[in-house]
Amino acid sequence: MISNLGAVLLIVSFLTTCSTLFLYIKNNIIQKSSIYLQFFLFYKVSFYLILFSFFVLIVCFAISDFSIISVYENSHTDKPLFYKISAAWGNHEGSMLLFILVISLYGILFLLNSKNINDSLRACTIFFQSIIQLIFLSFLIFTSNPFSKIFPVPVQGLGLNPILQDPLLAIHPPFLYLGYVGFSLVFSLLLAALILKQYNSRWASIAKKWIMLPWSFLSFGIGLGSFWAYYELGWGGYWFWDPVENASLMPWIASTALIHSIVVMEKLKKLFAWTAILTILTFILSLFGTFLVRSGVLNSVHAFANDPERGVYILFIITIITLGSLIIYILKFPKESVNNNSFALFSRDFSILLNNYFLIFILTVVIVGTTYPILLSVFTGETISVGPQYYNTILAPFIFIFLILMAMGPLMKWNGNSLISIKQKIFSFFIVSIFLTILISLYLSRYNFIFLLGVLCSVYLIVSVFYEIVMSKKTFFTKQNFSRLFSHLGFGLLILAITLNHFFSKEINAKIHLGESFFKQGIKINFLKSESSKEKNFEELFGIYKITKDNKTFILKPSVRKYKQPQQFTSETSIQRDGLSDVYIAMDYAGDPSMGMGVRFYYNYFVRLIWISFALITIGGIVSFVRRGNEKTI
Amino acid sequence: MRNIFLIILFFFFIPVQLAMASTEREINIYKNIRCLVCQGQSLNDSNSDFAIDLKKVIKKKIINKKSDKEIYNYLTERYGDWILFNPPLKINTFLLWGFPLMFALLGGVFLYIKVVAPHLRQ
Repeated sequence: MISNLGAVLLIVSFLTTCSTLFLYIKNNIIQKSSIYLQFFLFYKVSFYLILFSFFVLIVCFAISDFSIISVYENSHTDKPLFYKISAAWGNHEGSMLLFILVISLYGILFLLNSKNINDSLRACTIFFQSIIQLIFLSFLIFTSNPFSKIFPVPVQGLGLNPILQDPLLAIHPPFLYLGYVGFSLVFSLLLAALILKQYNSRWASIAKKWIMLPWSFLSFGIGLGSFWAYYELGWGGYWFWDPVENASLMPWIASTALIHSIVVMEKLKKLFAWTAILTILTFILSLFGTFLVRSGVLNSVHAFANDPERGVYILFIITIITLGSLIIYILKFPKESVNNNSFALFSRDFSILLNNYFLIFILTVVIVGTTYPILLSVFTGETISVGPQYYNTILAPFIFIFLILMAMGPLMKWNGNSLISIKQKIFSFFIVSIFLTILISLYLSRYNFIFLLGVLCSVYLIVSVFYEIVMSKKTFFTKQNFSRLFSHLGFGLLILAITLNHFFSKEINAKIHLGESFFKQGIKINFLKSESSKEKNFEELFGIYKITKDNKTFILKPSVRKYKQPQQFTSETSIQRDGLSDVYIAMDYAGDPSMGMGVRFYYNYFVRLIWISFALITIGGIVSFVRRGNEKTI
Repeated sequence: MRNIFLIILFFFFIPVQLAMASTEREINIYKNIRCLVCQGQSLNDSNSDFAIDLKKVIKKKIINKKSDKEIYNYLTERYGDWILFNPPLKINTFLLWGFPLMFALLGGVFLYIKVVAPHLRQ
């Protein structure tokens, strides 16, 4: 009964969105009036309808209404309520509904927080946002309706993939969506500004806020996903250059470039065309990421909900949106803004241009690395894999130079053209960071060239950020660069942590019998005993291990779970803190326990610094959004 | 300045793991090989029957003093390039390596002509 309500709500929201579009056209083109109350009201109604239908879907999952196909395929009565609910967006149909909800949510957020912007720009932005909303609503209703029925009604569901039955993964997709689907708003804002001839430096100050918000969510979402992979998959790593991870990284890199170029546009009235292209690119890459994940063209741990036929539809949508936005861009771009595009060599604006150059290069590597195997197999039938080594080899030298430039850029002046005033700083940062690098390498007694270079470059950035913090301590909380310092510090620490982790982590694979111990690389693993337990939706076998490293002992309790619906084994890791590092162990689920259990042990050096850096990067974004939210833009 | 940059660049393309202990060498090889029956896992991360058998084969080859290259050749002959995570530079991967570097070069030249050259002329 309630499922019918959901389906009806979806149809009604579709019709409401249609009438929203009609109202705008009628208002603006036929009557030439600029009173949009009714139009805004209709848009709000469409948002509430989508929100309501999403709630209905959650209720259907919570009460296990198996008359709905997606509930039947992804849920089970034996599951805890929390995972019944999160299963609502753990499948294709439900997640597409969430996708639309986020598009609509950003529209509403914009409506509520843009009263200081002129009404015609607001209305036109909402108009484009409604078009995007309508495109995806029709995709949802016609190809993947979450409320589709099944008859006869099954008594029991098939259950959710156990690997998704994890609290972090339940909240990870919503954050990712709040991130990359959120870029739809600044995309709509761009098209609206182009059409209304309001694409100028004031537009940049309005738009920046709407980039910072989804960017923060996306940073957080990527961090969460990485953390999830780290403790759930049991492979010891935190980033696998998996195509699906790359899919979320692509819009992140593009939007990071955008955040920087839009500042130049705002402050110096330069880079208009480039900023517009980046805005379009960011949103297109978000959609492209959706396509990669949803279409099933990938071989990945994450590709759990896909269907090739839908891929074709999404590709079609991407083509329409790309072509549409490019046509608007070409026809409406203000040509008069192009004449001022000169850059001085040692200016802050040029360093931002360099930043964009590096980011776009990194983006190209990620795009090529992700899509090349797919394209190659389509055109030649040959299959190749592109793994971490490709990315590490090709990116590392660029990242190092990028870090140095990241430290120098902010020291320079806008439009400035000399190094003399900052030469001293650049030089003294080098002295300090070389000194620190020597200390670190002596302490860790490691003198590998790449290790030293990685530490030197990241320490250089960290030193420069600390210098700025110390120099501006009084005005620190009011100054504009507060958020930048956070994010840059986070990035410096991130690369430092990755370098340390790469060179000092240890990995042991061994088969250990009950009661016996294993000694290697200064680490002793003792298999003390095993226990088993029964839960509602799985049986669990625990192994209790004593780890001895550098006179410290850790008791770890990894386990293997046997899920019932669907029947599947998962390995649960056990992790303990050792300073900023982790002692990490996972059991293998193959074989008979009496024959000895295979364990994978990892000593993950400084891995916690990686999560701290992710947090710092995100905080920087949030601070910038909040600060921009409080200031009057127009 | 540019020469230094090129030297640094070439430095990174020299394989990093020249001198490694035998076990570390094993793990490095496992990490570079795809477990064909899994979803995106490397041999090192997997304990499927396929992974276990293949690890045994590789271990044997190492004991027989085969070089990494010989082992990779043996595997690609049987399973194709799909099995290697680190794509070798061949005709079919030329663009994979070449395109980003070409892009970097073109972007660099563009910035040089636009900004650096006028500055030097002054």
